[in-house]
Amino acid sequence: MSNFFPALICGLFCYLGAIEAFNPVGTTGSFYCLGRPLVAGLIVGLAFGDVTNGILCGVAVQAVFIANLSTGGATNSEITYASYGGIGLAMASTKDPALAVTLAVLVGNTFGLIFYNLRMAFYSVFNNKALEAAEKGDGHGITIWHMIVPQICTFLLRFVPTFAAILLGEGLVNTLAANAPELITHIIGVLGGVLPALGIGMLMNIVIKDKIQLVFFFFGFVLLAFGKLDTIPVVFIAAVVAYIYYLATSKAAAAAPAGSTQSADAAYEDADLF
Amino acid sequence: MANNEEPLVKRADGKKGLTKHDLNQLWYRWNFGWFSSSSYEKLESHGFAWSYIPFAEKFYKNDPEGKARLLTRHSQFYNTEPQVGTVINGIVAALEEGIALGDDIPEEMPTSVKTALMGPLAGLGDSVIQGIIVPTLLSIGMSLASNGSPAGPIFYIISWLVIGVAVSYGMFRYGYKMGLGAIDTLVGEKSMRLMDAINVLGIIVVGTLAAGKVAVSTVVQIPYGTEMGALQDTLDGVFPGLLALIVTMVTWWMLNKKQWSATKVLLVLTAAVIVLCCIGFL
Repeated sequence: MSNFFPALICGLFCYLGAIEAFNPVGTTGSFYCLGRPLVAGLIVGLAFGDVTNGILCGVAVQAVFIANLSTGGATNSEITYASYGGIGLAMASTKDPALAVTLAVLVGNTFGLIFYNLRMAFYSVFNNKALEAAEKGDGHGITIWHMIVPQICTFLLRFVPTFAAILLGEGLVNTLAANAPELITHIIGVLGGVLPALGIGMLMNIVIKDKIQLVFFFFGFVLLAFGKLDTIPVVFIAAVVAYIYYLATSKAAAAAPAGSTQSADAAYEDADLF
Repeated sequence: MANNEEPLVKRADGKKGLTKHDLNQLWYRWNFGWFSSSSYEKLESHGFAWSYIPFAEKFYKNDPEGKARLLTRHSQFYNTEPQVGTVINGIVAALEEGIALGDDIPEEMPTSVKTALMGPLAGLGDSVIQGIIVPTLLSIGMSLASNGSPAGPIFYIISWLVIGVAVSYGMFRYGYKMGLGAIDTLVGEKSMRLMDAINVLGIIVVGTLAAGKVAVSTVVQIPYGTEMGALQDTLDGVFPGLLALIVTMVTWWMLNKKQWSATKVLLVLTAAVIVLCCIGFL
């Protein structure tokens, strides 16, 4: 029971960092801030009294979840359960970043998604009540069925499982980690390095709209892999490249009538399909 | 400084419109409660209605039917990116203000505006926020935190909150000020070119993420003359990060060309790692 207080904090922040939670600065402060593994690493680290290891776990998990996407209410992985459940459990046991990644992916893609989808299916009941209230012009009714009742349910759905998992899961994770054969530990370590490719692949899917743009992707890769540059100078270089790109496209747009370039593009894309 | 109790826009007919306080409240309540009761059926619908409760109390005090109609029309299905999408909230605030003060605006207008704009702005907002700004700031934060330093998370918290709140509030006020004209500027040719350029920055940052965060190395030993040496050392000498690049490109190919779901790709990657570890390659 030594983890009572950290488990409490993890459970609480698993609620505060949720996309649907009350937060003074809205989703900007919850889902996009407290819900990110990088931030969760700091908070969980503080709760366990070991900030350095917490942040190292947070950085490792963040790499996998760099492209957590929530579009149309559907999500590929429940990032908040993954952050606080995964990093919390790892901090309660071995504090190993690779284990944190495996646990976070496991929690986010199974338990997290199950709880998330349960809520998204079940809250239709509350929506109907809120609509009835709106039709009567009853503002208080909307507050009850849109805010109060759903928030209580959300709090329970997020706090209880995370709190219980960290309080009770410590022994289980420790036993498994201590008794796992070397091959399994090795696989977990390798997975921690490979899984970030999933998040990065999903980001590529969003930002690369034309295959020719892979040039910029390789440019970034080479700056880091061969140039051994740090991320911060690369962001500055990237900003300059983006500015030059903007100037160049502005000139091109001024030189050529928009209609002709568009039809040429369309023909090119058609040929590209097969 | 404009007084908080004075309407922002002076109307010719002398009626009192939205004050700065009213507007801030509309924005703040949207931010606070936009997703609270979300379900797959209604998503952000009731968040919109909830943000209009003080507005309804103020402008429809003596008109319960008008109030019910207002709250009902804002309980219809609605879903967009909540931060960039506040431009819609701003436009709708201008329209609702006009309706409440008796201007010649049909009551269906806010609903059709919301329905028409939520899709395009969700696309724009998701690619800017989730695709570029957040990953770029996170990658800087991760690099500052790579030795376990709290500077990384703290950098992300501060920089993101400043940018995120500025975008959300700025878009809202812009939408209110410009009305429907805001959309022409947002999807206009110049802003699309700017978006393309910002996108280039995003792609370069994604490239650095692939090089910095994907870590794959082989444990295979190959003969160097009479001695055995690590294949990885040779690879590093020729092309550092080659295996990471291959893994990333294959993952992207599965997502993009094969159109596999993220869950399926996750399972494939896990299975591949297990097999390659068992045969002693990784």
